[in-house]
Formats: sequence, C-alpha cells, structure tokens
Amino acid sequence: MKFCVCIKQVPDVQASVQTGRMVLNAYDASAVEEALVVNEGTDDVVDLVLIGPSSATETIRKALAMGASNATHIVVESLGGLDSHAIAHILADHFASHEYDAILTGKQSQDSDSGLAGSMLAELLGIPFATNAVGLKAEGEDLVVTRQGDSGQEIVALKTPCLVTCSNDMNNPRIPSLKGIMGAKRKQIPNKEAASVSALTDVSKSFSPPGREAGVKWEGEAEELVSQLVSKLQNEAGVL
Amino acid sequence: MNSILVYLSVHDARIKRSSLEALSRAREVGKASGMAVEAAILHSAAAEMASVAHAHGASKVFCMANPIFDSHLNAPLIAGLSKVIKMSSPRAVVMASTEGVKDVLGALAIRTDAAVLPDVASFYVTSDEVTCERPVMAAKLLASTTSTHPLVFISVRSGSYEVSEGETVGTVEEVAFDFDEATLGATLREIVQTTGDTVDLSEANVVVAAGRGVRDESGKALVDELASITGAAIGASRAVVETGLFPATAQIGQTGKVVSPELYFAVGISGAIQHVAGMNNSRVIVAINKDADAPIFDVATYGLVGDCFKILPVLNAELRKIIS
Ligand SMILES: Cc1cc2nc3c(=O)[nH]c(=O)nc-3n(C[C@H](O)[C@H](O)[C@H](O)COP(=O)(O)OP(=O)(O)OC[C@H]3O[C@@H](n4cnc5c(N)ncnc54)[C@H](O)[C@@H]3O)c2cc1C
Repeated sequence: MKFCVCIKQVPDVQASVQTGRMVLNAYDASAVEEALVVNEGTDDVVDLVLIGPSSATETIRKALAMGASNATHIVVESLGGLDSHAIAHILADHFASHEYDAILTGKQSQDSDSGLAGSMLAELLGIPFATNAVGLKAEGEDLVVTRQGDSGQEIVALKTPCLVTCSNDMNNPRIPSLKGIMGAKRKQIPNKEAASVSALTDVSKSFSPPGREAGVKWEGEAEELVSQLVSKLQNEAGVL
Repeated sequence: MNSILVYLSVHDARIKRSSLEALSRAREVGKASGMAVEAAILHSAAAEMASVAHAHGASKVFCMANPIFDSHLNAPLIAGLSKVIKMSSPRAVVMASTEGVKDVLGALAIRTDAAVLPDVASFYVTSDEVTCERPVMAAKLLASTTSTHPLVFISVRSGSYEVSEGETVGTVEEVAFDFDEATLGATLREIVQTTGDTVDLSEANVVVAAGRGVRDESGKALVDELASITGAAIGASRAVVETGLFPATAQIGQTGKVVSPELYFAVGISGAIQHVAGMNNSRVIVAINKDADAPIFDVATYGLVGDCFKILPVLNAELRKIIS
C-alpha cells in the first residue's frame, strides 16, 4: 500500500516544567510505525507530510529515521491561529496533487486533543475513513481497520483510497536505528507554502484550571488503613 | 437558526446518560438565550425513546428509525445527521463526546459547513457566538475557545453537567432515512465485545481502576471483587491494558475514556498526567499505592500507602460487611 502519514510536532506534555521540548506527536508515531509494519517486505512507500515551523524539521527527520521514504514540509511558522478546520484544508490542498492508497494521521494531537483534522480531511477528499484505530491490515484493495469503539472493538473494511486515524494503543513505535538516523540526515525535505485558509474557532486564552488539593495520606498496616478509609468514606465523603 | 439541536447517542436501546447531561445543559442554555431545544435520535427504536428526550427538555424530537444505526458505522450516521441538521437548521448542535460521536464529528462538520468545539468541559450559546472551555495539554490547561460561525458543533465530556428534567411538551417528527449503500465505501465486518460489563464505564457512579501495580490474575481477582461489592465499573491504566490483563475499552485517560464518578479507586496506578486527564473530575478519589511519592496522591482525596495485595483483601472484607 502506498501510504502517507500526516505528522505534527507538539510540546512534550510529560515534562513537569514547561521545558519547551518538542516531540513527534505520540499518536502520529504509532501511525508511522503501523504503515511501516503493513508495508514490511514490499517496496511500497511510506511518505510523510508535516505542517509546522522550520524548526519542526528535526521531527520530520525523526520519523524518516524510523524508516519512512520521503517527506514534505509545509512551512507555517506559527500554528497558533490554525484550528483543525484550517489544517484539514491545507492538507487537502496537498493531497490534491499527491495520490495514495491510504492516508494515516494520529487520532488526536497530544497538545490540543481535538481529534478532528483526520476525519475532516477524509471528508474534504471524499474518501472513506475510520478513527481511533488499534489495528490495521491490508487485504487486497481493502484496508481492514480494528477501531476502539465505545463498548468494544469494531472491525471495518475500508475501500482504498481511504484515511485512518491511529491510536497509540496500536503498537510501540520503533526506536530509530543508527543507520536510519544517518539515512534520514541525508534526505532532502522539500518545503512548500501552505494554501491560504481560515479558522472557524478562536482560542481567546488558556489558563491552569483550579487544581485538586491533595487530601490525606495514611501509612501503616492494612487493617489500620482500611478502617481509617472506611470511616472517612462513610462519615466525611458520604459515599458508602 | 435560533435553536439548539442535541444528538442523543443510544446504547442498548437506551439514551446514554452523557447525552442526557448534554441535553439538560442545552435546555438551561436555551432558556437563558431564548432558543428552542430539539433532539435527534437515530436508532431502530428511536420513537420509543422520544418521551425521554421530551422529559429532559426537547420540544421537538427528530426520529430516524433504521436498524443501520444500531451498530456504529460512520458513513450512514453522517448522512443521517446531515439530513436532520438541514431540517432543524439550528444555531448549534450539542452531543456527548462518545467514541461514536468523535468518529463522525469532523466529517459531519465539513459536510454541513460547521465549526467544531470538541470535547468541552463547559459551553454557552448565544445567537452571536458559541463559547466553551476545553481541556488541552493533557488537561494541564483549560482553553477558552469561541466561534462566531453560523453553525457550531459542541461535543461535551461526560460528567461535565448533571442530568435534570424539564417540563416540556413535545412533538415527534419521523424522518425517513434514504441512504445509498453503494456510496458506503466501508463495511462493518464484526464487533468484538471486549467487556461483558454490566456498568458502562463512562457513566458509572463508582469506578475501580487498576494499574500496573495490580500485576497479575490474582491482583485482577481482587480488583474484580472490589468492583462487584461496590457495584463499580472497572477501569484501567494504559500500562496495565498493555499487559493484556484488562481490555482497552477499560482504559481511562487522554487516549482512553473520561470518567467522573462519585467514587474512584486507583489501585496500583502511578498517576501519570495522561491518566489523571481522564479522572480528575471524580468527586472522591481513593488511591492505593506502595510508593508514598506517587503523583496519584497529589489528586487523591484519601491515600493509602501500601501494598494493594495486602490492602484489598482487608478492604473487600470490610466493605462486604457494610454494603451487604
Ligand atoms: C500520548 C499518550 C497518551 C496516553 N494516554 C494514557 C491514557 O489514556 N491512560 C493511561 O492510563 N495512560 C496513558 N498514557 C500512559 C501514561 O503516561 C503512563 O505510562 C501510564 O498511565 C502508567 O500506568 P500505571 O500507572 O499503571 O503504571 P506505572 O506508571 O508503572 O505505575 C504503577 C504503579 O503501581 C505501584 N505499585 C506497584 N506494585 C504495587 C503494589 N503491590 N501495591 C500498590 N501499588 C503498587 C507503583 O508504585 C507505581 O506507582 C499515555 C501516554 C502518552 C504518551
């Protein structure tokens, strides 16, 4: 299958202080991994496209180092004013001149958690899609997707060309090998301007929500701990 | 243009509680901004559920009865909802942020030319604008987000609002579903039920969640027992789902589900930011962890520092006495 994976560079939310460290979106890393696995033993390409600032090149190189074929960098110095709607339109413009059997995206970005760009893109391109995939298999002309639904897993067969958004529950992305890293360094990454688009939503401010206060913490023997807890649950919390 | 349409998700021929939460909120907002509230049910037994929608504030209920909606497949749902949205012509469409809704939201927005405010913790609608607050950065931050687009979709995180009833006299409008299967592009092969749970995790009053500290089958048995005594749904961290001990449908957090029960037990869970993102709106949090410095204790109401294999047998015995 000829794949293209849409990837994004995001701040590392795990860092306890805002370090400013940028990483490959974890969901996208799983999408890259899955495309590579599906294509193992074939000559089919796994291409990449990223929308982001010039400094995001390092993230593209990381995904290339995993084994992806070629990448396009759509340079947008600040993603600030772009919502999922705008991103989907920029990507749709890119795919108007690039054909693939399957486009993969992460199921959401770790920073904005919107989970919309993939399915919006599919609709703009008029192709079938599935979201929140945890498994992928090529079957002739079809891509068979296992997706995590509300109360179980749904297995859907999509006619190609199609689009799938991937969960990080899909796989554990490989650590690039030294050979992969060296190879990725030598690759040309063509830059491209973004189509002009407009956002339909606007973030006016972001703030820390009033955090929970830590409650009480007990140490001791199991019997003691349990009797303290049960008494609090009954008399203070009123939940028993 | 001057109404709010609420899409009601159905599970086991029952409207989901999270959808009724969204409808209850829409009724309040509609009352304050002078907008009518309508609802949409897409299910073979839609008509039988219309009275529930009326009781929670919908003046008109669009019922699209077709068995194709009874198991989730995105293409027909998008086609069906687009039709209802055209008929209702609302200012905003409100829905519960279920996996089913997440699957259709983006494509539906493109098809109907709507802006989307996804996975919000709160929202408000006026004829000029729709505003919301939504968690971002693994719920470390809340982002106030606005749209002035003429049609706005809002998906609401479960547990953000209480279910409440209004006194609404309503009508039902049956809508025919005319869908060309040839345009489907996708077929549902199979639904693999990974949980035999009786309690729906995202709607449970009590959740017992297991982490990597639960370790093995014997730990799982203790967790299952605590859940059965307290009538809880079982949740899990990503790390313990990865071991295969618990199904992925049980995963709570940024990748998994959002829960906000009255009582949440975190057993052998460290409290990584991506896990806490899915449970920090629980009213009472009990953490059991042998590491006194585990970050889960920063959000726990009651923290028990110790080995869950020692604590759970005692806790189960004690709770059994009280609850039975
Ligand atoms: C993009 C992204 C999305 C993610 N989404 C999610 C998500 O949705 N949900 C989620 O949970 N995680 C998610 N994660 C993973 C998350 O970062 C953590 O790795 C995960 O939550 C850890 O699970 P855990 O607490 O069970 O395991 P660990 O962090 O390994 O913690 C195990 C805990 O058990 C305790 N323990 C061990 N033995 C015992 C014992 N006998 N008795 C008592 N305590 C014991 C230990 O002290 C430790 O604190 C995500 C990560 C990323 C990058």
